[in-house]
Amino acid sequence: MKINQIYVNLPVKDVQKTREFWTKLGFSINEQFSDEKAVSVVMKEDHIYAMFLNEKFFKTFTDRPIAKGDTTQTLLAIGVDSRKEVDNMVKTAIENGGSKYSEPQDHGWMYQNAFSDLNGHQWEVMFADMSQLPTE
Amino acid sequence: MKINQIYVNLPVKDIQKTKEFWTKTGFSINEQFSDDKAVCVVMSDNIYVMFLTEEYFQTFSERPVPKGDTTQVLVAIGLNSREEVDQVVNAAVANGATQHEEPQDYGWMYQNSFWDINGHGWNVTFADMSQLPTE
Repeated sequence: MKINQIYVNLPVKDVQKTREFWTKLGFSINEQFSDEKAVSVVMKEDHIYAMFLNEKFFKTFTDRPIAKGDTTQTLLAIGVDSRKEVDNMVKTAIENGGSKYSEPQDHGWMYQNAFSDLNGHQWEVMFADMSQLPTE
Repeated sequence: MKINQIYVNLPVKDIQKTKEFWTKTGFSINEQFSDDKAVCVVMSDNIYVMFLTEEYFQTFSERPVPKGDTTQVLVAIGLNSREEVDQVVNAAVANGATQHEEPQDYGWMYQNSFWDINGHGWNVTFADMSQLPTE
């Protein structure tokens, strides 16, 4: 089985601020799937989207309460095309209200840096050079 | 900015059971990124879900793993037909998942959903974008 698209749905306090944050990171918005209750961030056209829903709207899709931000249910690791892109994204995120929760890690074949977004969702940004993946 | 791949990382109680569950649901495993602490489920060429033991997951976050009584994320995945949607949800439920909402048919989009064996919520969809209503 192969999927053709993924939408990672995450709850947020403020849709407008969330939209500004992700726009500043350099991503575009799918306006067709965005309104005052949700913003759809295009991570990879036609394939990978992050949907940020206000808590009230998010709540309509689950019978459990929304996490209060004191736990972590998911870590989202996203791959970009260079180390420079990794660091640029993390830097921009922190300048715009994100925060740092771990130090960059250099595994040789993979470089990784991370930020916690405006809403406390944690993103691991990485550049992987699969040709350098160590073989056992 | 464009990303080239995504790994959705989720904590689980039992790697082996999680691996069996997702295999039975119809997905393949990337063995290169799987071991006794993690299983990497291949959703497409650039979309992966990594299930990590709670102990291992915990090493990546300074906040505790939730106890399954809250929701921070719902993952929606798109398949190629209504039949595939129902096939995946039926296989999931037959292997220990629970049905979440009743299937919903919006005409241009068909959706079914389940909570997996670790309590993570999945919306499984088939969308025919050519039928998306225009305003």
